[in-house]
Amino acid sequence: MNQPDVRGAAPLGLSTTLLIRLRLRRLLNLMRAASIRKKKNSAEAGKRSGNPGKQSSNVVLYVFLPLMLFVFGSVARNAVVNLHEALDPGGFWRTVEFAAPFTVGLAFLLLVMWFASLLVNIASGELAKPDWDLEWLVTLPIRAETLLWARVMERSVVNPSGFMALAPACTVIAWYSAHHWTAPLFGVLAAWPLLLLAALARTIVDTGLRLRMRAEQLRNLHAVISVLSIVSMYLAMSLGITGKASFMLGVAANMPAALAWTPMGLVVQALNERDTLQALGWWLALAAETFALLWLGIGWLQHRLRNGVVSGGSRDAVRAAAAAAAGAATESSASARIGAVQRRELTLLSRDRNFLVQSLVLPLLIVGGQLLLGNSGVASSMWRDPNVLASVAFGLAAYSLSMSAFQTLNTEGHALWLLYTFPRPIESVLKDKAALWGVLTLAYPVVLFCVGLVVTPQVSWKFASAALTAFLGIPIYAFIAVALGVFGSNPLEQQQNQRVKPEYLYLYMGLAGLYIYAVVTPHPFQRLIFMVLSLLLSFALWQKARDRLPYLLDPDVAPPPRVSTSDGLIAAMVFFVVQAVFVAIGGTSGATLLVAFAAAGAFTYGMMRYVYARTGTQGVPQILGERNLPLYGVAGGLAAAAIASVYLMAMRGTPFMEEAQRAAYDGLGWWLIPLAVIGAPLFEEFIFRGLIFGGLLRSFGLWPAALASSAIFACLHPPIAMLPVFCLGVAAALTYARTRSLLAPMLAHATYNASIVAVQVFLR
Amino acid sequence: MIELQGLTRRYGDFTAVKPLDLTVARGEMFGFLGPNGAGKTTTIRMLMGILVPSGGRGLISGLDCHAQRADVQRHVGYLPDNPMFYDFLRGREILQFVAEMHGLPRTEAAARTRGLLGDFGLEEVVDEFAVNYSMGMKKKLGLACALIHDPEVLILDEPINGLDPRAARDVQDRLKQAAASGKTIFMSTHLLDMAERVCTRIGIIHRGELVTTGTLAELRERVVPGGSLEEVFLRVTEESAAQAVTP
Repeated sequence: MNQPDVRGAAPLGLSTTLLIRLRLRRLLNLMRAASIRKKKNSAEAGKRSGNPGKQSSNVVLYVFLPLMLFVFGSVARNAVVNLHEALDPGGFWRTVEFAAPFTVGLAFLLLVMWFASLLVNIASGELAKPDWDLEWLVTLPIRAETLLWARVMERSVVNPSGFMALAPACTVIAWYSAHHWTAPLFGVLAAWPLLLLAALARTIVDTGLRLRMRAEQLRNLHAVISVLSIVSMYLAMSLGITGKASFMLGVAANMPAALAWTPMGLVVQALNERDTLQALGWWLALAAETFALLWLGIGWLQHRLRNGVVSGGSRDAVRAAAAAAAGAATESSASARIGAVQRRELTLLSRDRNFLVQSLVLPLLIVGGQLLLGNSGVASSMWRDPNVLASVAFGLAAYSLSMSAFQTLNTEGHALWLLYTFPRPIESVLKDKAALWGVLTLAYPVVLFCVGLVVTPQVSWKFASAALTAFLGIPIYAFIAVALGVFGSNPLEQQQNQRVKPEYLYLYMGLAGLYIYAVVTPHPFQRLIFMVLSLLLSFALWQKARDRLPYLLDPDVAPPPRVSTSDGLIAAMVFFVVQAVFVAIGGTSGATLLVAFAAAGAFTYGMMRYVYARTGTQGVPQILGERNLPLYGVAGGLAAAAIASVYLMAMRGTPFMEEAQRAAYDGLGWWLIPLAVIGAPLFEEFIFRGLIFGGLLRSFGLWPAALASSAIFACLHPPIAMLPVFCLGVAAALTYARTRSLLAPMLAHATYNASIVAVQVFLR
Repeated sequence: MIELQGLTRRYGDFTAVKPLDLTVARGEMFGFLGPNGAGKTTTIRMLMGILVPSGGRGLISGLDCHAQRADVQRHVGYLPDNPMFYDFLRGREILQFVAEMHGLPRTEAAARTRGLLGDFGLEEVVDEFAVNYSMGMKKKLGLACALIHDPEVLILDEPINGLDPRAARDVQDRLKQAAASGKTIFMSTHLLDMAERVCTRIGIIHRGELVTTGTLAELRERVVPGGSLEEVFLRVTEESAAQAVTP
């Protein structure tokens, strides 16, 4: 029997399940790809994966999801309590029946949360990008109506931010309606109609509007939505903050009673109704209203899609003579001084409103919002205390850099290959971009300090020093952000939200936080040390990034290990930490100090050599080389000692000096001699000259490397010794550069220390 | 001019390109043929310093393609298989940017940009954002980017794919003209008739292995006497025959 083909359009249930499964499968594949990549030698590593990008970790998923649920839950709880106090000051705990104004207030809370989560959701995607799956899905034998319903269903299920905003809030309302331990169940049940409506609204915005607006308009709309999403997020959060919510509570109090009959209001009523039959009525009303809205919305969408899912208008219209003329005019003399890369970046910034908003406007909104809503009192004290002002200015700039300089490679995106066709090192392009953002973000401190000058007209030394610290920090952190961005970005990733590896972004934020400490601290020496450390850190990270750059587009090859400045920084840290541990255990007697010093040095030295041997690292410093030139070392040490002696003579008799001397002798006595003459040269030279100076020398000139390594060397000594130790550092670095073996700088260090001990004894 | 010395690439346990030895002389127009996934694009990306060789090296004008990438690019123009461009930049601006990045002075860069856009018939779309170009227009813009600094060597990944017949012919003519003026061209392609028409020498890669190289006449003689390039291609990329015809 020849049966006709009965397979017509797929029914709704099937398409919805298939769509949801497809979406979840994709999510799962992404996560699996990430975990497989970490196990390099597993059987699957040899296969080609669908996406050969270097994957990010799942930190966000495992740590932040429960944390976010908790945070949203607690905000929702506070908001409910606040609303209750404002709208129904009666006995909340006596009865679980909500008063009418309170019901309206809760509906308002849900409305605000719903709206904020919707905007966040839309802003996190890319509105102007083609809708990859819809264009593909319409080619399947599914009716447009079914497809739209399935899409809305699917989006109501796979919507983490919406779930975060609504489910905890509904759960809290259910809890206070005496649902007790079934509250989470009712909360999720009640949140679902709202999530369906959110899915509908989102689909109307991204599918419906795409056909009506040109790509350029869509991008502008996206920029506006991302600003609004932050504002609405703050408004929603402000309901949950005690004492700061008066504005939103006022709005809530003036909401019309009709709000109780919207889906949000029906959710509250359904949750609050204790009578089972009546509750069923409310739930039915909620379902009916939701369905009616969905039916209307999908009808409208169907109408819009009647001519297909791709519109001719999505392509940017050719702009005729006027635009061309304008383009020609921009190539004037004013921009002649900046390079091609920076000019291109500025052009992008001026055209891409979304990029502009993300990098320069959002930081203002977010930091501003924190200042206004938070209880820290920063907003009021920043005009009185220049250190606070400087920390706000630096914080703003650092935040902005995380959205701009950190994203350097991501803004290149899929056009990154172009950089590899130019006869210029990629590093030079990144340097241009770091410089550009370092200068652009200086605008924040400039504006803030100008206002500061107007508010407090007398310029104190403190004001100038705070301003200087902020100003110097920003270019340093522009370079740190670009360098960390090299590791922390996936420019070839299709998904916008997968392009940043969160661990590197948090590292950057943490480092920026350290510098804020430098800005706030009242001790000038600490401030100096933080600045030097940050500078050296930027050098070290930059060097690591530079080693990485030729391998950027390679999916699975890493650069061969080489001794780098960052190794030296790590070794220095280990050296001092181990010493501190020994001292903490054994006290500060001379013998313990010597043992601590020697043990820490030997441990660090052994550890570094072991790691280098294991990884086959190139360029490990040697004590004896081809040219040892011991006399060079002795001469260098004597020269530095001569300078130091003059300095010590000059400082003689100052209370500063006497105290330092007393501390040194009380602590050490004769133990000082073997420590100073044998131990210190042996280990410190390996770390400071061999690793740090040697690492710096690989990327920078002789003098910058010598000065930078000596600066960090000096910083780790007591303030009184900084200047002479700096000179010793330079002398030892120069002898190391000349001989390329550690013997000469070790002798320089030993000679210097021996001379200083002798001078000290003599001066006494 | 182009020299591959044991150039190898592995992804984990999978060897995408087995040790590859090949020399392309100045003025040659070398066609690099092979089935999908044979390792053509991987080889080209190694020559461009985008992928790092797992072994061996590629030399262009005697310079190492990985270690001396920036110097190599002075001599090379490159067209990827799927050229992608910046959002929010117009075709003219991209070409101007590329020219300036190659160190051309701005007026010179503008003049060459105008010239090349004219040559490729892109004048009508120069003020449109390049991301919105059709595939063919992107290829043309990519080719213009590859030619703007007048390089000695052109490395082209599927230059004709996606072009309409007229544009394909224009590009072939331009490539012939470039070869005649002494440029060395290394291009991968699937289009056998095109390779037959324009290439002076052909290499066929199959499963990461260069199975045969030679002029069209040599290949025919060696593999399928009197046959077409298509027959040669099908024969050497047959699974069992792959080893037999290795010269």
